[in-house]
Amino acid sequence: MEDLVENLANGNVTAVKIVLASVIMALAVYQVVLMAVGWGKVKLPFLKGKPASFAHRAVGDTIVTITIVVAFMCLAYFGIEDGIEHARPGETDRATMHVVAAFALLAALAFKIVVVRWWHRLGKYLPVIGLTVFALFLATWLTSAGDYLLGG
Amino acid sequence: MADAARSHALQIVGSLLVALAIVAVTVSLVTSRLGPGIDDDRGRDARDRRQERQEELRERREERREERRKD
Repeated sequence: MEDLVENLANGNVTAVKIVLASVIMALAVYQVVLMAVGWGKVKLPFLKGKPASFAHRAVGDTIVTITIVVAFMCLAYFGIEDGIEHARPGETDRATMHVVAAFALLAALAFKIVVVRWWHRLGKYLPVIGLTVFALFLATWLTSAGDYLLGG
Repeated sequence: MADAARSHALQIVGSLLVALAIVAVTVSLVTSRLGPGIDDDRGRDARDRRQERQEELRERREERREERRKD
């Protein structure tokens, strides 16, 4: 698995992960804007609620696919224990927070998909679930790619 | 009715094009920050740190492979 991931990324696993995670983060911000229009919280003259919701669903499907790819790369290449145990001095907390946020994100994302597709009774909670997913995306990005890009 | 449907379709296509533009801009920004063009100290440090970490991980994997072979 490690070799597969390394070959796929042409030896630049971390860099590829940073780019993909940042794309996900940027699209997640766009998703919040789309859904604010979709739920009628923001009114735009050039975009109505229904098309915004449709675009939200389409972009969301893309985000989920890329997230699964990044999660697979992360687990296959770095692992959980390795990532935390072998983090650089002073970075163990960041690595631990990243693992916790990432697993919480996957769970929240799965739950949101279940609610959207099948568990319609909980549909009224979708704004809260969606914002939770966004917050977890942000936490996961800030404790990995964001740390590289912003923290240096 | 047909106009409304066309307007909706255009809005969806427009929204998806914006998403594509966001992806393109993000990839461009992040790769320029990560790439060999980084000449500020912070970027250089981050890159060195990243390379060091990748080398460490590679070494550990090699060690694990060796151990497995011995077992």
